[in-house]
Amino acid sequence: MILIISTCREELSDSEFVRPLAILIEDHNIIHYTRVRPADIAAAKKIIISGTALKDFEYLKHDFSWLLKTNKPVLGICAGMQIIAKAFGIPLEDHTTIGPQKVEVVTENKLAEGNFNAYFLHTKTGTGNFQTLAVSNGKPCMIKHPLSEIYGCIFHPEVMNEEIIRKFTE
Amino acid sequence: MKLGVLYSGGKDSTLALMKAKEHHEICCLISIVSENKESYMFHTPNIDVTLLQSQAMEIPLVRVVTKGEKEKELDDLKKAILEAKQRYQIEGIVTGAVRSTYQASRVQRICYELELWCFNPLWLKNQVELLYEILEKGIHAIISGVFAEPLDKTYLGAEINKTMIEKLSKIASTHHISPAGEGGEIETTVLDAPVFMKKINTTKSEIKWNDNYNGTFAIHDAELIAK
Repeated sequence: MILIISTCREELSDSEFVRPLAILIEDHNIIHYTRVRPADIAAAKKIIISGTALKDFEYLKHDFSWLLKTNKPVLGICAGMQIIAKAFGIPLEDHTTIGPQKVEVVTENKLAEGNFNAYFLHTKTGTGNFQTLAVSNGKPCMIKHPLSEIYGCIFHPEVMNEEIIRKFTE
Repeated sequence: MKLGVLYSGGKDSTLALMKAKEHHEICCLISIVSENKESYMFHTPNIDVTLLQSQAMEIPLVRVVTKGEKEKELDDLKKAILEAKQRYQIEGIVTGAVRSTYQASRVQRICYELELWCFNPLWLKNQVELLYEILEKGIHAIISGVFAEPLDKTYLGAEINKTMIEKLSKIASTHHISPAGEGGEIETTVLDAPVFMKKINTTKSEIKWNDNYNGTFAIHDAELIAK
Protein backbone atom coordinates (compact mmCIF):
# COMPACT_ATOMS: atom_id res chain seq x y z
CA MET A 1 0.00 0.00 0.00
CA ILE A 2 1.22 3.49 -0.88
CA LEU A 3 0.41 6.12 1.74
CA ILE A 4 -0.55 9.45 0.16
CA ILE A 5 -0.25 12.25 2.69
CA SER A 6 -2.40 15.26 1.84
CA THR A 7 -0.88 18.63 2.70
CA CYS A 8 -4.00 20.62 1.74
CA ARG A 9 -5.43 23.02 4.32
CA GLU A 10 -8.59 23.35 2.24
CA GLU A 11 -10.57 20.20 1.37
CA LEU A 12 -11.38 21.73 -2.04
CA SER A 13 -7.66 21.56 -2.93
CA ASP A 14 -7.58 17.78 -2.41
CA SER A 15 -9.34 17.24 -5.74
CA GLU A 16 -6.55 19.21 -7.44
CA PHE A 17 -3.44 17.92 -5.68
CA VAL A 18 -4.33 14.56 -4.08
CA ARG A 19 -6.97 12.91 -6.31
CA PRO A 20 -4.72 13.05 -9.42
CA LEU A 21 -2.09 11.05 -7.48
CA ALA A 22 -4.66 8.55 -6.22
CA ILE A 23 -5.85 7.92 -9.80
CA LEU A 24 -2.33 6.77 -10.71
CA ILE A 25 -1.90 4.43 -7.74
CA GLU A 26 -4.16 1.42 -7.47
CA ASP A 27 -3.34 0.41 -3.88
CA HIS A 28 -3.29 3.59 -1.82
CA ASN A 29 -4.44 5.14 1.43
CA ILE A 30 -4.99 8.90 1.73
CA ILE A 31 -4.46 10.57 5.11
CA HIS A 32 -4.21 14.28 5.95
CA TYR A 33 -0.84 15.24 7.47
CA THR A 34 -2.44 16.26 10.77
CA ARG A 35 -3.89 12.75 11.22
CA VAL A 36 -0.91 10.55 10.27
CA ARG A 37 -0.06 8.08 13.08
CA PRO A 38 3.13 5.96 13.42
CA ALA A 39 1.00 2.90 12.56
CA ASP A 40 0.06 4.49 9.21
CA ILE A 41 3.74 4.98 8.35
CA ALA A 42 4.53 1.42 9.45
CA ALA A 43 1.74 -0.01 7.30
CA ALA A 44 2.89 1.79 4.13
CA LYS A 45 5.23 0.29 1.55
CA LYS A 46 6.15 3.75 0.28
CA ILE A 47 4.96 7.29 1.03
CA ILE A 48 4.06 10.23 -1.20
CA ILE A 49 3.59 13.69 0.32
CA SER A 50 1.35 15.78 -1.96
CA GLY A 51 1.51 19.38 -3.07
CA THR A 52 -1.13 21.97 -2.24
CA ALA A 53 -2.40 25.39 -3.32
CA LEU A 54 0.15 28.12 -3.98
CA LYS A 55 -1.23 30.23 -1.13
CA ASP A 56 -1.23 27.40 1.41
CA PHE A 57 1.69 27.26 3.88
CA GLU A 58 -0.12 25.75 6.88
CA TYR A 59 1.86 22.47 6.55
CA LEU A 60 5.12 24.29 7.37
CA LYS A 61 3.90 24.77 10.97
CA HIS A 62 3.66 20.98 11.50
CA ASP A 63 6.24 18.59 12.95
CA PHE A 64 7.37 16.06 10.33
CA SER A 65 10.36 14.73 12.33
CA TRP A 66 9.21 11.14 11.61
CA LEU A 67 10.92 11.70 8.23
CA LEU A 68 14.32 11.62 9.97
CA LYS A 69 13.65 8.14 11.35
CA THR A 70 11.70 6.38 8.62
CA ASN A 71 13.24 3.68 6.45
CA LYS A 72 10.34 3.86 3.97
CA PRO A 73 10.93 5.39 0.52
CA VAL A 74 9.36 8.87 0.41
CA LEU A 75 8.55 11.16 -2.51
CA GLY A 76 7.70 14.75 -1.58
CA ILE A 77 6.00 16.76 -4.30
CA CYS A 78 6.22 20.56 -4.17
CA ALA A 79 4.90 21.28 -0.63
CA GLY A 80 6.05 17.71 0.11
CA MET A 81 9.59 18.59 -0.96
CA GLN A 82 9.50 21.73 1.20
CA ILE A 83 8.41 19.56 4.14
CA ILE A 84 11.33 17.17 3.58
CA ALA A 85 13.75 20.11 3.33
CA LYS A 86 12.44 21.64 6.56
CA ALA A 87 12.54 18.30 8.41
CA PHE A 88 16.22 17.89 7.48
CA GLY A 89 17.06 21.45 8.56
CA ILE A 90 17.41 22.85 5.05
CA PRO A 91 16.32 26.49 4.88
CA LEU A 92 13.60 27.38 2.37
CA GLU A 93 14.18 30.28 0.02
CA ASP A 94 11.64 32.31 -1.94
CA HIS A 95 11.64 31.17 -5.55
CA THR A 96 8.54 31.27 -7.75
CA THR A 97 7.89 29.22 -10.87
CA ILE A 98 4.40 28.83 -12.36
CA GLY A 99 3.66 26.77 -15.48
CA PRO A 100 5.50 24.31 -17.74
CA GLN A 101 9.33 24.48 -17.79
CA LYS A 102 12.16 22.40 -19.23
CA VAL A 103 13.84 19.92 -16.87
CA GLU A 104 17.25 18.34 -17.35
CA VAL A 105 18.27 15.22 -15.42
CA VAL A 106 21.87 15.66 -14.27
CA THR A 107 22.35 12.58 -12.08
CA GLU A 108 21.33 9.07 -13.06
CA ASN A 109 18.45 7.97 -10.86
CA LYS A 110 15.50 5.58 -10.62
CA LEU A 111 12.74 8.09 -11.28
CA ALA A 112 13.63 10.17 -14.36
CA GLU A 113 16.03 10.42 -17.26
CA GLY A 114 16.88 12.81 -20.11
CA ASN A 115 15.17 16.13 -20.74
CA PHE A 116 11.44 16.77 -20.42
CA ASN A 117 8.85 19.44 -19.72
CA ALA A 118 7.23 19.55 -16.30
CA TYR A 119 4.52 21.61 -14.58
CA PHE A 120 5.73 23.93 -11.81
CA LEU A 121 3.63 25.67 -9.18
CA HIS A 122 5.66 26.85 -6.21
CA THR A 123 6.94 29.94 -4.41
CA LYS A 124 9.51 28.32 -2.09
CA THR A 125 12.22 25.72 -2.47
CA GLY A 126 15.17 24.30 -0.54
CA THR A 127 17.74 21.69 -1.50
CA GLY A 128 20.66 21.96 0.98
CA ASN A 129 23.03 19.01 0.99
CA PHE A 130 20.64 16.69 -0.84
CA GLN A 131 21.85 15.24 -4.12
CA THR A 132 20.64 17.18 -7.20
CA LEU A 133 18.98 14.76 -9.64
CA ALA A 134 17.53 17.31 -12.09
CA VAL A 135 17.63 21.04 -12.73
CA SER A 136 15.34 23.58 -14.37
CA ASN A 137 16.70 26.98 -15.42
CA GLY A 138 19.89 26.05 -13.56
CA LYS A 139 18.07 25.46 -10.26
CA PRO A 140 17.71 22.01 -8.60
CA CYS A 141 14.16 20.73 -9.05
CA MET A 142 14.54 17.02 -8.16
CA ILE A 143 16.63 16.02 -5.17
CA LYS A 144 17.48 12.89 -3.17
CA HIS A 145 18.75 12.30 0.34
CA PRO A 146 22.44 11.31 0.08
CA LEU A 147 21.85 7.95 1.80
CA SER A 148 18.17 7.04 1.94
CA GLU A 149 15.34 6.73 -0.59
CA ILE A 150 13.88 10.13 0.20
CA TYR A 151 13.14 12.16 -2.91
CA GLY A 152 11.94 15.71 -3.42
CA CYS A 153 10.36 16.98 -6.61
CA ILE A 154 9.46 20.67 -6.69
CA PHE A 155 7.41 20.30 -9.90
CA HIS A 156 4.17 18.32 -10.13
CA PRO A 157 4.91 15.01 -11.91
CA GLU A 158 1.23 14.00 -11.81
CA VAL A 159 0.47 16.70 -14.42
CA MET A 160 2.97 16.01 -17.23
CA ASN A 161 5.26 13.22 -15.97
CA GLU A 162 3.12 10.40 -14.61
CA GLU A 163 5.98 7.93 -15.23
CA ILE A 164 7.87 9.47 -12.28
CA ILE A 165 5.01 8.47 -9.96
CA ARG A 166 4.83 5.01 -11.57
CA LYS A 167 8.59 4.41 -11.22
CA PHE A 168 8.52 5.52 -7.58
CA THR A 169 5.58 3.29 -6.68
CA GLU A 170 6.81 0.20 -8.61
CA MET B 1 -13.75 31.54 2.33
CA LYS B 2 -15.39 34.05 -0.05
CA LEU B 3 -14.77 32.93 -3.64
CA GLY B 4 -15.40 34.15 -7.20
CA VAL B 5 -15.94 31.65 -10.01
CA LEU B 6 -14.37 32.17 -13.43
CA TYR B 7 -17.58 31.40 -15.26
CA SER B 8 -18.04 30.67 -18.97
CA GLY B 9 -21.59 29.33 -18.62
CA GLY B 10 -20.54 25.84 -19.70
CA LYS B 11 -20.67 22.46 -17.96
CA ASP B 12 -17.17 22.57 -16.43
CA SER B 13 -17.38 25.96 -14.74
CA THR B 14 -20.88 25.08 -13.46
CA LEU B 15 -19.66 21.78 -11.97
CA ALA B 16 -16.61 23.52 -10.46
CA LEU B 17 -18.94 26.14 -8.92
CA MET B 18 -21.16 23.43 -7.39
CA LYS B 19 -18.15 21.63 -5.89
CA ALA B 20 -16.75 24.88 -4.46
CA LYS B 21 -20.16 25.77 -3.00
CA GLU B 22 -20.05 22.61 -0.86
CA HIS B 23 -17.17 24.15 1.12
CA HIS B 24 -17.19 27.91 0.55
CA GLU B 25 -19.33 30.97 -0.14
CA ILE B 26 -19.64 31.90 -3.83
CA CYS B 27 -19.82 35.70 -3.92
CA CYS B 28 -19.64 36.41 -7.65
CA LEU B 29 -19.21 35.02 -11.14
CA ILE B 30 -16.51 36.45 -13.41
CA SER B 31 -17.05 36.25 -17.17
CA ILE B 32 -14.71 37.41 -19.90
CA VAL B 33 -16.36 38.21 -23.22
CA SER B 34 -13.76 37.84 -25.96
CA GLU B 35 -14.27 39.52 -29.33
CA ASN B 36 -11.61 37.21 -30.80
CA LYS B 37 -13.03 33.89 -31.98
CA GLU B 38 -9.54 32.38 -31.92
CA SER B 39 -8.86 33.22 -28.25
CA TYR B 40 -7.12 30.33 -26.44
CA MET B 41 -8.40 31.56 -23.13
CA PHE B 42 -11.94 32.80 -23.43
CA HIS B 43 -13.83 32.24 -26.64
CA THR B 44 -17.16 30.65 -25.76
CA PRO B 45 -20.35 30.65 -27.83
CA ASN B 46 -23.30 32.12 -25.91
CA ILE B 47 -21.14 33.87 -23.32
CA ASP B 48 -24.00 36.42 -23.03
CA VAL B 49 -26.14 33.71 -21.47
CA THR B 50 -24.02 34.19 -18.31
CA LEU B 51 -26.18 37.29 -17.65
CA LEU B 52 -29.24 35.02 -17.29
CA GLN B 53 -27.29 32.28 -15.48
CA SER B 54 -26.15 34.86 -12.93
CA GLN B 55 -29.77 35.88 -12.32
CA ALA B 56 -30.86 32.23 -12.18
CA MET B 57 -28.25 31.51 -9.49
CA GLU B 58 -28.81 34.86 -7.75
CA ILE B 59 -25.04 35.39 -7.77
CA PRO B 60 -23.74 38.74 -9.10
CA LEU B 61 -21.72 38.80 -12.31
CA VAL B 62 -18.51 40.71 -13.03
CA ARG B 63 -18.36 40.92 -16.81
CA VAL B 64 -15.45 42.30 -18.79
CA VAL B 65 -15.16 42.57 -22.58
CA THR B 66 -11.73 41.92 -24.12
CA LYS B 67 -10.51 42.33 -27.68
CA GLY B 68 -8.88 38.94 -27.12
CA GLU B 69 -5.36 39.84 -28.25
CA LYS B 70 -2.96 37.16 -27.01
CA GLU B 71 -1.49 37.94 -23.57
CA LYS B 72 -3.28 41.36 -23.51
CA GLU B 73 -6.50 39.49 -22.77
CA LEU B 74 -4.77 38.30 -19.61
CA ASP B 75 -4.51 41.92 -18.47
CA ASP B 76 -8.28 42.15 -18.94
CA LEU B 77 -8.77 38.94 -16.95
CA LYS B 78 -6.58 40.36 -14.19
CA LYS B 79 -8.62 43.57 -14.17
CA ALA B 80 -11.85 41.56 -13.90
CA ILE B 81 -10.52 39.46 -11.01
CA LEU B 82 -9.21 42.58 -9.26
CA GLU B 83 -12.62 44.22 -9.67
CA ALA B 84 -14.24 41.10 -8.15
CA LYS B 85 -11.75 41.19 -5.26
CA GLN B 86 -12.42 44.87 -4.54
CA ARG B 87 -16.19 44.73 -5.01
CA TYR B 88 -16.96 41.40 -3.27
CA GLN B 89 -13.90 40.93 -0.99
CA ILE B 90 -13.22 37.51 -2.48
CA GLU B 91 -10.22 35.60 -1.13
CA GLY B 92 -9.93 33.14 -3.99
CA ILE B 93 -10.90 32.08 -7.50
CA VAL B 94 -12.46 28.83 -8.75
CA THR B 95 -11.94 27.61 -12.32
CA GLY B 96 -13.26 24.68 -14.34
CA ALA B 97 -9.80 23.91 -15.77
CA VAL B 98 -9.34 20.19 -16.46
CA ARG B 99 -6.20 19.66 -18.49
CA SER B 100 -4.93 22.87 -20.07
CA THR B 101 -1.66 23.89 -18.41
CA TYR B 102 -1.73 26.99 -20.68
CA GLN B 103 -4.96 28.29 -19.12
CA ALA B 104 -4.38 26.97 -15.61
CA SER B 105 -0.90 28.45 -15.21
CA ARG B 106 -2.04 31.87 -16.41
CA VAL B 107 -4.90 31.98 -13.91
CA GLN B 108 -2.57 30.67 -11.18
CA ARG B 109 -0.11 33.50 -11.94
CA ILE B 110 -2.82 36.18 -11.79
CA CYS B 111 -4.09 34.78 -8.47
CA TYR B 112 -0.53 34.78 -7.14
CA GLU B 113 -0.03 38.41 -8.18
CA LEU B 114 -3.36 39.43 -6.62
CA GLU B 115 -2.73 37.36 -3.46
CA LEU B 116 -5.76 35.13 -4.03
CA TRP B 117 -6.28 31.41 -3.53
CA CYS B 118 -6.82 29.43 -6.72
CA PHE B 119 -8.99 26.30 -6.81
CA ASN B 120 -9.30 23.93 -9.78
CA PRO B 121 -11.58 21.15 -8.47
CA LEU B 122 -11.79 19.33 -11.83
CA TRP B 123 -8.03 19.31 -12.45
CA LEU B 124 -6.84 16.15 -14.29
CA LYS B 125 -10.22 14.50 -13.89
CA ASN B 126 -11.01 11.65 -16.28
CA GLN B 127 -13.10 13.22 -19.04
CA VAL B 128 -15.75 10.51 -19.36
CA GLU B 129 -16.17 10.42 -15.56
CA LEU B 130 -16.50 14.19 -15.70
CA LEU B 131 -19.38 13.93 -18.20
CA TYR B 132 -21.17 11.37 -16.04
CA GLU B 133 -20.70 13.56 -12.96
CA ILE B 134 -22.36 16.42 -14.87
CA LEU B 135 -25.42 14.16 -15.26
CA GLU B 136 -25.32 12.83 -11.70
CA LYS B 137 -25.18 16.38 -10.31
CA GLY B 138 -28.29 17.32 -12.33
CA ILE B 139 -26.60 19.80 -14.66
CA HIS B 140 -28.61 20.27 -17.85
CA ALA B 141 -26.16 21.29 -20.58
CA ILE B 142 -26.50 21.50 -24.34
CA ILE B 143 -23.77 21.46 -26.98
CA SER B 144 -23.40 25.04 -28.18
CA GLY B 145 -20.36 24.60 -30.42
CA VAL B 146 -18.46 21.86 -32.25
CA PHE B 147 -14.98 22.39 -33.63
CA ALA B 148 -13.51 19.00 -34.61
CA GLU B 149 -13.99 16.09 -36.98
CA PRO B 150 -16.32 14.09 -37.04
CA LEU B 151 -18.69 16.31 -35.02
CA ASP B 152 -21.41 17.62 -37.30
CA LYS B 153 -24.50 19.81 -37.28
CA THR B 154 -26.62 17.13 -35.54
CA TYR B 155 -24.71 17.69 -32.29
CA LEU B 156 -25.56 21.39 -32.09
CA GLY B 157 -28.21 22.13 -29.47
CA ALA B 158 -28.23 18.50 -28.37
CA GLU B 159 -28.43 17.69 -24.69
CA ILE B 160 -25.54 16.06 -22.80
CA ASN B 161 -27.28 12.87 -21.69
CA LYS B 162 -26.24 9.22 -21.30
CA THR B 163 -26.66 8.47 -25.01
CA MET B 164 -24.59 11.54 -25.94
CA ILE B 165 -21.82 10.58 -23.48
CA GLU B 166 -21.65 7.09 -24.99
CA LYS B 167 -21.50 8.63 -28.47
CA LEU B 168 -18.75 11.11 -27.51
CA SER B 169 -16.73 8.38 -25.75
CA LYS B 170 -16.90 6.22 -28.87
CA ILE B 171 -15.80 9.09 -31.14
CA ALA B 172 -13.00 9.98 -28.73
CA SER B 173 -11.52 6.52 -29.07
CA THR B 174 -11.57 6.58 -32.88
CA HIS B 175 -10.74 10.23 -33.64
CA HIS B 176 -8.32 11.26 -30.87
CA ILE B 177 -10.56 13.99 -29.53
CA SER B 178 -11.27 14.73 -25.91
CA PRO B 179 -14.76 13.40 -25.02
CA ALA B 180 -15.49 16.31 -22.70
CA GLY B 181 -14.17 18.85 -25.21
CA GLU B 182 -11.17 19.86 -23.11
CA GLY B 183 -9.19 20.49 -26.29
CA GLY B 184 -11.86 22.95 -27.48
CA GLU B 185 -13.63 20.32 -29.63
CA ILE B 186 -16.97 20.97 -27.92
CA GLU B 187 -18.42 23.96 -26.09
CA THR B 188 -21.50 23.70 -23.90
CA THR B 189 -24.10 25.99 -22.37
CA VAL B 190 -25.87 25.15 -19.10
CA LEU B 191 -29.62 25.82 -19.09
CA ASP B 192 -30.41 24.40 -15.66
CA ALA B 193 -28.66 23.03 -12.58
CA PRO B 194 -29.57 22.45 -8.91
CA VAL B 195 -27.93 25.81 -8.07
CA PHE B 196 -30.31 27.61 -10.49
CA MET B 197 -33.45 28.99 -8.80
CA LYS B 198 -35.05 29.30 -12.26
CA LYS B 199 -34.17 27.59 -15.52
CA ILE B 200 -33.32 29.07 -18.90
CA ASN B 201 -35.81 28.72 -21.73
CA THR B 202 -34.38 29.43 -25.20
CA THR B 203 -36.90 31.37 -27.28
CA LYS B 204 -34.79 32.17 -30.37
CA SER B 205 -31.77 30.25 -31.57
CA GLU B 206 -29.86 29.62 -34.75
CA ILE B 207 -27.53 26.90 -35.97
CA LYS B 208 -24.53 28.49 -37.70
CA TRP B 209 -22.63 25.90 -39.71
CA ASN B 210 -19.30 26.84 -41.24
CA ASP B 211 -18.41 23.45 -42.80
CA ASN B 212 -15.14 21.78 -41.92
CA TYR B 213 -16.65 20.36 -38.71
CA ASN B 214 -17.15 23.80 -37.23
CA GLY B 215 -20.45 25.31 -36.07
CA THR B 216 -22.34 26.90 -33.22
CA PHE B 217 -25.80 26.82 -31.67
CA ALA B 218 -26.31 30.53 -31.08
CA ILE B 219 -28.88 31.55 -28.48
CA HIS B 220 -30.31 34.92 -29.60
CA ASP B 221 -33.13 35.20 -27.08
CA ALA B 222 -33.82 33.39 -23.84
CA GLU B 223 -35.78 33.89 -20.63
CA LEU B 224 -35.88 32.58 -17.09
CA ILE B 225 -38.85 30.40 -16.24
CA ALA B 226 -40.01 28.66 -13.06
CA LYS B 227 -38.66 25.16 -12.47
